[in-house]
Amino acid sequence: MFLQTQQITKEFGKLRAVNNVSLEIVKGDIHAIIGPNGAGKSTYFNLVTGYHRATSGKVIFKGKEITHLPAYSRCNLGITRSFQITSIYPKLTVYESVLQGLLCHRKVTLNFFSSAKKFFKEEVCRILEDVGLADQANTLGDSISHGDKKRLELAITLGTEPELLCLDEPTCGMSPEETDVAMSLIKKFSEERGLTILFTEHDMSVVFGIAKRISVLHQGTLIADGTPQEVRASEEVQKVYLGGSA
Amino acid sequence: MLTNQTEKKDSIVKRGWWLGLLFILFLIAPSILSEFYLSILCEALVMSLLALSFNLLFGYMGQLSFGQAAFYGLSGYTVAMLVTKVHFNFWLSLVAGVLMAGVIGLVVGYFCVRLRGIYFAVLTLAFGQLLFVIIYKWHNFTGGDDGIQGVFPPDFLKSPTAYYYFILLVFTASAYVLWRIIQSPFGQTLKSMRENSERTEFLGINIARYQLIAFVIAAGFAGLAGAIWVPFYRSVAPFYLMWIKSGEPVMAAILGGPPIFLGPVLGMFIMTFFHAWVLGFTIYWPVVMGALILVIIFFLPGGILGFAHEKLKERKEKLNLTKGQP
Repeated sequence: MFLQTQQITKEFGKLRAVNNVSLEIVKGDIHAIIGPNGAGKSTYFNLVTGYHRATSGKVIFKGKEITHLPAYSRCNLGITRSFQITSIYPKLTVYESVLQGLLCHRKVTLNFFSSAKKFFKEEVCRILEDVGLADQANTLGDSISHGDKKRLELAITLGTEPELLCLDEPTCGMSPEETDVAMSLIKKFSEERGLTILFTEHDMSVVFGIAKRISVLHQGTLIADGTPQEVRASEEVQKVYLGGSA
Repeated sequence: MLTNQTEKKDSIVKRGWWLGLLFILFLIAPSILSEFYLSILCEALVMSLLALSFNLLFGYMGQLSFGQAAFYGLSGYTVAMLVTKVHFNFWLSLVAGVLMAGVIGLVVGYFCVRLRGIYFAVLTLAFGQLLFVIIYKWHNFTGGDDGIQGVFPPDFLKSPTAYYYFILLVFTASAYVLWRIIQSPFGQTLKSMRENSERTEFLGINIARYQLIAFVIAAGFAGLAGAIWVPFYRSVAPFYLMWIKSGEPVMAAILGGPPIFLGPVLGMFIMTFFHAWVLGFTIYWPVVMGALILVIIFFLPGGILGFAHEKLKERKEKLNLTKGQP
């Protein structure tokens, strides 16, 4: 059991954004959470990554209950996330941004006297090459294109060498070409690094093109969970989400 | 590779020459300046240390502490009381002053780091004023508004020139340590928290813990500034802890440029010397200072060094562009 949520619920006042969702994410899978707007995808995501705390239910990661752990502790256990609205460091260079992920993960952030730039040169360069940002290493985060910012965020998260990478709408705002590049990158990382990837996405071609397993949320409730074929065949999913066109 | 190393060496030499020149000027300052201006220079150096400590939080961590003078004054009081009341060893009194600032910084910081932005600023201001009022009102123990007089350094430091060199040494060593901290992985983490604390938290950093560590370091250096100033001035008074005093490093950082390490130092030098000079003409110093700050904010956003740095960068980019063209 890699990641498991047991009857997890999140209420915001009277609104039940996530309702009794029990789900298991298998190690090494690319697992998509889909659903129409307001289905509770992002909230579910936030419950897994520690952005929100669950009203009830449990989140279990590698056999350890993490329901009440703060976000930074979950990250230290191996869960890293990206945000729907790209979250990078605007005034740090691309190189420094990726370095920060490595400094955090390798626990050297309490070193007060060595120069930060001397650390992990090779690792940073390798990640930058992998995501295709090596030629922009010295550019400031806010000076690169939107697609590159998304890639930079991915590079920052890779610096933490996560076991579970949670990507909230990783292709949001990207052109079709950028989307293709980003998805092939994600697939590559999953295969090469053995990363487990949990992602939310609204673009169905992306989801069915890459996910090994898909869970469908509707009004906070899990209505389907299975392989792309199973989900595609589900009548309920077709009714509420795919409009019968899948 | 060899070219890279040579280039690196060149840039260090180029960058280092003016710092070396500046240091030589500081070394020969006592033989150039009158005693009055030497004491102003001492004040500028001590206040610059306070400004550097403040800027660790403001320029690098992105939080405005409006109570930095409280640690400066508290440490000054600790030294003054230990030296005058119990005739404690001078050097150990300095250490005790810094420790006091650090410990109180830990307590104040524990509450402040839970907040961000304006709330952080207001809470530091409130704690600063609270400490000021305690010192001001506790007449039996602290001397209240009379302050404490007769805080003398050891005999060999009694001449202004000797004490100036002592201050210069402490300032240089402290500035070096702060510089190293800012360049370190810890400093890099502070900068990343300033840029995007949410992103940094989701990389595994306990933001409050790191802010608290930075807060204590800043309080310690502010304390060091207070500890070395009081024996030079021979006295301490409650206004050292007051919010107006806390405002000085804020203004110095804005004046000089918070993103540049020596920005607050330049700002504090301008303020201190300008203050001494303007007082010769008018007692309405705050009006002049206010006008200066307005000019800087409107015409040099990013402070003097921040503005100069931007312009230099633009020039360099333009030059690179021209070189790149056939």
